[in-house]
Amino acid sequence: MKKLRILLADDHIVMRTGLRALLEHQPNLEVVGETENGRETVALAASLRPDVVVMDVGMPVLNGIEATQTIVTQCPTIAVVILSMHADESYVMRALKAGARAYLLKDSAAEDLIGAIQAISQGKSFFSPKVSRILAEDYVRVLKQKGAVDTYDLLTSREREILQLLAEGRANKEVATALNISAYTVETHRSHILQKLNLHNSAELVLYAVRKGIIS
Amino acid sequence: MTNNKLDTLIASTAQGRRQFGSRAALFAGFGTLLILMAIISIDSLYTLEAFENHNSHIRQDFAYRENTLEQVRIGIYESGDILSDYAVVESDPQSQERLRTEFQSIRDETAASLKACIQSLPKEKRESFQHLAEELDRYWSEVDPIFALPATQKKGLGHSVLSGGVHSQYAKVLAITKEVRALNDNELKETDRRIAEAFAQFRRRLLVLAVIGFSFSLILAATTIVYAGRLEKSVQEKYRESLQAQRELKDLSKRLVEAEERERRAISRELHDEVGQSLSALLIDVGNLTVMSSEDGAFRLGLHKIKTLAENCVNEVRNMALLLRPSMLDDLGLVAALDWQAREVSKRTGMLVDTVDENVSENLPEEYKTCVYRIVQEALNNCSKHAYAKNVRVVVRQEPKHLRVSIEDDGKGFDASRVRGLGLVGMNERVSQMGGVLKVESDPARGTRLRVDLPLPNASADSGKLSS
Repeated sequence: MKKLRILLADDHIVMRTGLRALLEHQPNLEVVGETENGRETVALAASLRPDVVVMDVGMPVLNGIEATQTIVTQCPTIAVVILSMHADESYVMRALKAGARAYLLKDSAAEDLIGAIQAISQGKSFFSPKVSRILAEDYVRVLKQKGAVDTYDLLTSREREILQLLAEGRANKEVATALNISAYTVETHRSHILQKLNLHNSAELVLYAVRKGIIS
Repeated sequence: MTNNKLDTLIASTAQGRRQFGSRAALFAGFGTLLILMAIISIDSLYTLEAFENHNSHIRQDFAYRENTLEQVRIGIYESGDILSDYAVVESDPQSQERLRTEFQSIRDETAASLKACIQSLPKEKRESFQHLAEELDRYWSEVDPIFALPATQKKGLGHSVLSGGVHSQYAKVLAITKEVRALNDNELKETDRRIAEAFAQFRRRLLVLAVIGFSFSLILAATTIVYAGRLEKSVQEKYRESLQAQRELKDLSKRLVEAEERERRAISRELHDEVGQSLSALLIDVGNLTVMSSEDGAFRLGLHKIKTLAENCVNEVRNMALLLRPSMLDDLGLVAALDWQAREVSKRTGMLVDTVDENVSENLPEEYKTCVYRIVQEALNNCSKHAYAKNVRVVVRQEPKHLRVSIEDDGKGFDASRVRGLGLVGMNERVSQMGGVLKVESDPARGTRLRVDLPLPNASADSGKLSS
C-alpha cells in the first residue's frame, strides 16, 4: 500500500516535532518535509508534491490561509489540513474559501489529525468536532434570536441528499454517479439549494453543512 | 524641553514688564497731548476775550474824550455867540441877564466836563487836556470883563474887547481843541496798531503751540503704531505657540493610543503564539504518550488530567489574547474581526448584532482597521450596557475617498447634546486623530445612531473587494 506523503508547516519546532511523532506512529503515513513559514511551504509543496499539507494558520512571511490558496490553485491534487487556534467561523470560512479540505483545532489535533487525513484521502471534508459544535450552536442561537425559519426545512429530500454529498467534498460528477442521475441535474439541484439557503458558493455550502451538523 | 519652556516663560515675563512700561508711556503721552490742547484752547479763549474787553474800553474812552472835546468846541462857539449878542446886540437888561446866566452855565458845564475828563485820564496823558483847560480858563477870564461892563459903556467897549484879546483867545482855544482832538485820534491809531501787533503775536504763539502739538501727535501716533505692531506680533506668537502646544498634545495622545495598541498586540501575540502554541504542542505530546502507553489505568488517568488542564489553559490564553486584540484583525482583516466581535457580543449579551460590509478592502491600513474595530467595540459595549438594545446594526462602507461606519441600536437613547462620556470622548479622540468626523444622533424614542466618517489616503482605495 502506497504511503500518504505529508508536508508539515508550522513555525513552532515543538509543535512540528509533536506532530511528526504523532503521524509517524501510523504505518501508512510518511512525513516528507517540514517548513516554518508560508512562502517556504508554497515552494516546498510545489517541488515535493505531497498528498497532504498540514498547515498552521499563524505563520510569518505568508500566513497559512494565503499559502493554502496559492498551493490549491497551483496543485489542486494537494489536500490541505488547517491547524488553527480558533474555532471561530471567520477562520473556518476563510480556510474553506482558500480551498482547505479539513479544519482542526490545535488543542484537539492529537485526537483528530489522523482521522482528518484519512477522511480527506477518501475525498471527504473534515472538521474538528469542537468546531462543528461551536458553529452549530452559533447557527441555532442566531436562528432563535432572529426568530427566523430554518431554511433547511425548505429543501426536498433529494436536495438534502445532494447537499450532504457536495458538502463532503464530492464533485458534481461523483454525486451524479452515486445517485445515478446526470451531472446536469446535479448542477440544477445545486443551484436550487444555494438559492433556498441564501448561499453563494461551495465554501458557504460546506460551512452551512457543518453548522447544521450534516457533516463533521 | 522644560528648559525651553522656562526660558519662554522668563522671556514672556520680561516682555510683559516692557509692555507695561510702553503702555504707561503711551498713557502719559496721550495725557500730555490732551493737556496741551486744553491749554491752547483756554489760552486762545482768554486772549480773545481780553482783546475784546480791551478794545471796547479803548473805544469807549476815545468816544468819551471826543465827546468832551466836542462839548468844549460847541461851548466856545455858543459862548462866542452869546458874547456878541450880549456885547453888541442886546440892550434890554432882562435879556442881558438871561444871556449872562446862559453864558455862566455853558462855562460851568464845559469846565466841569473837561475837569471830569482830565480826572479820568492817566497822568501822562493829562498834559494836552490840562493845557486846553488852562487856555479855556484864560479865555473865560478874558471874557469876564465884558460882562462886568456897565450897560452904557459896553456898546463902545464891547467891540474893542471882542475884537481884541477875547477874539484871539477864542481862536487859540479852538486851535488847541483841534490839536487835542488830533492827539486823541493819533492815540486811537496807535492803540489800533498795538492791538494788531498783539494779535500777530498771539497768532505766532498759537502757531508755535499748534506745531508743537502736531509734532507731538505725530510722535505719539508713530509710537502707538509701533506699540500696536509689537502687541500684534506677540499675540501672533502666542497663538502660534498655543497651536504648537495643541499639536503636540494631539500628537502625544495619538502616540499614547498607538503605544497602547502596540502593547496589546505584542502581548496578545506573545500569549497566542508562544504560550498557546507551546500548550498545543504539549497536548500533542500528551496524545502521543497516550497512544504509546499500554493499558496502565493510573498512568492514562494522569495523562488525561494533564490534557484537561492544558486544554483549559489553551482556552484561557486564547480568550485573553482575543480580548487584548483579536488575531482576526491582523490575520483576516477588519470585516472578519467585526463579524467575530458581533458573534461574541451576541453570545455574551443576547443582543442581536448584524454586520454589513460594503466594498471593504482587506488591505486597509493598520490604523484604520484598529480605529474602526475599537470604535465598534466601544459602541457595542454602550449598546448593551447603557442602551439595553435588542438589535444593533453595524454598517461599514468603503468609498473611494472615505470609510464610513454607522452603528444603530434600538435602545433607550439619550440626549446627545448633553451627555458626554460613554466612551464618546475616547471615540472622538480616535476619530479626530484620523482626521475624521464622529456624529451621534440619539433619541429616547428611537435609539442611538453613531456615524463615523474617516477620510482615506488615496493609495488604499484601490485594493477593492476580497471578502464576503
